[in-house]
Amino acid sequence: MIKELEKIRNIGISAHIDSGKTTLTERILYYTDRIHAIHEVRGKDGVGATMDFMELEKERGITIQSAATFCSWRDHDINIIDTPGHVDFTIEVERALRVLDGAVLILCSVGGVQSQSITVNRQMTRYKVPRVVFINKCDRTGANPARVTEQVRDKLKLNAVPMQIPIGLEGDLEGVVDLIKMKAIYFDGDNGEKIREADIPDHLKDEAEEKREEMLDAVSMFSDELMEAVLEGEPTEEMIMDAVRKGTLSLELVPVFIGSAYKNKGVQPLLDAVVDYLPAPSDIKNTALDLENNEEEVVLTSNPEDPLVCLAFKLEDGRYGQLTYIRTYQGTMRKGDTIVNSRTGKKVKVGRLVRMHSNEMEDIESAGPGDIVALFGIDCASGDTFTSPDITMSMDSMHVPAPVISLAIKPVDNKAQGNMSKALNRFTKEDPTFRTFVDHETGDTIITGMGELHLEVYIERMKREYNAEVEVGAPQVAYRETITQRAEFNYTHKKQTGGSGQFGRVAGYMEPLEEGEYEFVDQIVGGVIPREFIPSCDKGFQASLEKGALAGFPVTGVRVVINDGAAHSVDSSDVAFQLAAKGAFKEGYAKAGPVLMEPIMKVAVEGPTEFQGAVMGSINQRRGMIIGTFEEADYTVVEAEVPLAEMFGYSTVLRSLTQGKAEFTMEFATYRQVPKGVADEIVAEVQKKKAAEKK
Amino acid sequence: MLKKDMIEKNPLGAFSADKSGNEIAQRLGLVAARAGIGKTAILVQIALDNMLRGKQVLHVSVGENIQKTKAWYEDIVRDIAGGGEQEKSAIEYEVMRNRMIMTFNESSFSRPKLEERLNDLIYQDIFRPSCMVIDGLDLADIDRQTLVDLKELVKEASMNIWVSSICHRDTQEDPAGAYGDLFDTIIVLQPESNGDSKIFLNILKDDTGCVETGKGLRLDPTSMVVWGTTF
Repeated sequence: MIKELEKIRNIGISAHIDSGKTTLTERILYYTDRIHAIHEVRGKDGVGATMDFMELEKERGITIQSAATFCSWRDHDINIIDTPGHVDFTIEVERALRVLDGAVLILCSVGGVQSQSITVNRQMTRYKVPRVVFINKCDRTGANPARVTEQVRDKLKLNAVPMQIPIGLEGDLEGVVDLIKMKAIYFDGDNGEKIREADIPDHLKDEAEEKREEMLDAVSMFSDELMEAVLEGEPTEEMIMDAVRKGTLSLELVPVFIGSAYKNKGVQPLLDAVVDYLPAPSDIKNTALDLENNEEEVVLTSNPEDPLVCLAFKLEDGRYGQLTYIRTYQGTMRKGDTIVNSRTGKKVKVGRLVRMHSNEMEDIESAGPGDIVALFGIDCASGDTFTSPDITMSMDSMHVPAPVISLAIKPVDNKAQGNMSKALNRFTKEDPTFRTFVDHETGDTIITGMGELHLEVYIERMKREYNAEVEVGAPQVAYRETITQRAEFNYTHKKQTGGSGQFGRVAGYMEPLEEGEYEFVDQIVGGVIPREFIPSCDKGFQASLEKGALAGFPVTGVRVVINDGAAHSVDSSDVAFQLAAKGAFKEGYAKAGPVLMEPIMKVAVEGPTEFQGAVMGSINQRRGMIIGTFEEADYTVVEAEVPLAEMFGYSTVLRSLTQGKAEFTMEFATYRQVPKGVADEIVAEVQKKKAAEKK
Repeated sequence: MLKKDMIEKNPLGAFSADKSGNEIAQRLGLVAARAGIGKTAILVQIALDNMLRGKQVLHVSVGENIQKTKAWYEDIVRDIAGGGEQEKSAIEYEVMRNRMIMTFNESSFSRPKLEERLNDLIYQDIFRPSCMVIDGLDLADIDRQTLVDLKELVKEASMNIWVSSICHRDTQEDPAGAYGDLFDTIIVLQPESNGDSKIFLNILKDDTGCVETGKGLRLDPTSMVVWGTTF
C-alpha cells in the first residue's frame, strides 16, 4: 500500500471562519469520488457536511476538530486536514500545520484577508508551509478577487500571483480563464463535475493576455529557462508549471486560484494545483532529535526501508476506543509491528491500521513515509513520537501557548463525577492548551484554556460524549501577581516547643525580573546557610509563588537573591529553612509593591464601515485601547487591545450593535498591570469570597 | 533614556511652545520631501514628542496599514529609548495609550470621512486628539478647499495638524506652492548637496514663532532620528 513518495500530498485547508473551508473540502471529496452526495454545512437536508462529524460542529456550522481525510486525484494520494477557523482552536491549526507539507489558504472574495487569515498565515510561515491561495465565494455580491489578491500582497506579505481570471463575477460567475493554458474553463453538470474547456470569451481576451504577461513576469524569476523562453516568445505549459512549482516550494511565490466551492466552480483546477504545485513529502526536509546523541538534530530520510519515525498529532475517542492520528516521516509501519513511544519508552504493538475518510475508515496493512493514518488502541498523548525499537528519536516539540481563562466545574452527581474524570483525562491528552487541576482550597475542578468558546466546546463534549453533566462557574481570568520594586527581607523562623526545635534565618532581597517567571540567586558566602539548605530556601520561595499575598493569584516575574542568613547546628532542618524562606518572601513581598496583572487580548473587529463608531464605543467601554482602524471601501477593521476580563459575552453585544454584520477574533497579546481601581475591586471580591467560604 | 530626557532631547519639541514659553495649540504644518527621504519618520517624531508630553495624537495614514504604521513608532522608540526592557516597554505603553492610528485605503480617504471619524471619537469621548498627523497625501492631488477645511479644523478643535506631502522635482523650492499661505509652518527635507550623505531638515517658514526661519537640522539618513540634534 506504499505509494511512491512523489505521488503523495499532505495538505491542510485553513482560513478565517466562514470562508468556506468545510464546503470546499466537501466538494473535493465529491470530485475525488470519496462521497457520492454533497451535503451543505448548514444544509436543509440535516445531514451536515461530511467533514464536520462531531454533532456540535454540525449544530454550530464551525469545524472544531481537524478531521483527517484521504482522497485521490490524478493518481496522487491526497491527505487533507480540515482545520478550525476560530482562533480559540489555533492549537488544532498549529498541530495540523506541523504534519503537513503544503496548504491551501482560503480567502473570502468579499471579506478578503481577515485577521484570522493573518494568524493562520503567520503560523504557516512559522512551520515553513508552502501554500496556494483559493479565493472562494466569487459568486457572492461584492466579490472582488483582484482586491483580495492585492490584500494578500499587502497584509500577508506574500508574492501572490493570479493563475486565473474569473469569467463573470457575483451572480454571473460562469467559470475561470486558465492563464497558463489560455483556455476558458466551465463547470457543467448538476454538480459542476463536467469540465469543459473552450476558447476565451472575446471580451476577456485582452485582460487575459495582460494578466498572463504579469504572471509570466513574476513566475519567470524562478526559472532561467522560462525567462529565456518568455523573451523568445514561446514558453511551454510545462516550463511555466515547473517555475510555479519551484517558486511555491521555495515559499517565494503563492499562486492564486479563484472560484466558488458552493457553486461548484473552480474546485478541480485547485486540485490540479495541489498536485502540480504543492510539495510531496520528499520535497520537505524534516528533522528529529536523536535522544541517544545529546539531542543532535537528524535529518529524516523518507526512505521506507529505514527505521520508523512517526508523530502522533491528534487523538480522538471514538466508537471503537482511542484513535490516534499518525504521520509517518521515515520507515514503514506495518500491522503487527512493535513500536516504541520515545517519551515514555513504552513498547506498543500496531493493531488495526486505518486510513481515515472523515468518520469512515478503510483498513490498510502498512503506512510508508509521508502517510497520514490512524491507529487503534494506542495509549499516548498528542505530540508523542513513535519509532522502531532500535532507535530513540523525538520530533521536536510544538509551540504551545499558555491558557488565559479558567472555569470551575462541578459534577452534578456521582455518576457524572466518574464520567467527567474520564472526559478530562481524554481532553487533556488530545489538546495541550486545555488543562485541568483541582483547587485545593475550594475542592473545585478547574479547567483552563484559550478562550470562552474553547472551554464551552469541551463542556458540551463532556455532556454529549461522556454523559457528564456539570455545573459551570463563571469564567475566571487567569490573573497574576508581580512586584514592581526591589525590597529587602530578613526573616528568622524559630520554634521551640520541646524536643528538637526549628531554626533558620534567611536574608536578602527580591526584585522585578524582566524576562521569565522566577529566578533564584544564591549569594551566600562563608556558609552562613549550609549548602544542603540552599535548595530548601529555593523550595520555600517557589511554594510562596503559587499564591500571592495580594489576592491569591500566582506570582511571576520575581528574582529572589539570598545573601545572608543563619543556621543552628541542631535545630536547622530542610523544613525550618523552607518555612524561613516562606516568611522571608511574605515580608519582602509586602514591601515590593505587589500589583495584579491581567491578560490582554488583541482584538480585531471587522464589519461594515457604518458601524465603526459603535464598535469603537463598545471597545472603549471595555477598558480597551484602540490601536487603529483600517478603512477600505465600505469595510472597516478596528484593532484594539482589551482586557480579557471585559470580553466575556462580547459576541452577543457586537451582534446586537451591528445587526450581526460584524465579527471579531481575539488572541492573547500580553499581561499588563490592572488599573488600581479595578484591582481593588478584584481584591475585595476575592476577600469576600474567602470570608464566605470560611463561614 | 527616561521620558523626561526623551522630551528634552527632541529638537522638534521646539514647536510645542513659542520663545516666551506659550504653548502652541493651533497650527497647520507641512513636512515636505521627495519620495523616500523620510517624511514619515519626521511626522512620527513630531507625534512622539506630543505623546510623551501626555497629549493624544491621531495618526492618519493614507495607503499604509496599521501594522506598518505601528512599526514606525516601535522602531524609533526602540532606537532612542535605550535602557532596560522594562523602561522601553513602559515608554511604548505610554506612546500606545496616547496614540490612535487611522488608516485609509487611497481611494477611500476623503476630508468629510476623516471629519466623520474624528467626530465619532470625540463625541463618544473615546479619544480627544490635540495633535493630528496626516501621512501619505500629495498636495498636487488636493484642492485648496481641503486645506482650508483642515485649517478650520485646527481652529475649531484647537489642534496641531501636521501634513506630509511629496515634493515633485519642480516644487522643491516652494513645496506648498499656491497653498503656502495656509500653512503656519513648513519643513522641507533635502539630501545635502556636498556629498556628506546627510539629510538637511530645513525650516522654510514658521509663523508661530517657535523656530526661526532658515534654521535646520542635519540628520543621519539611515535612522532619520532627530534626537540629540539642535537647531
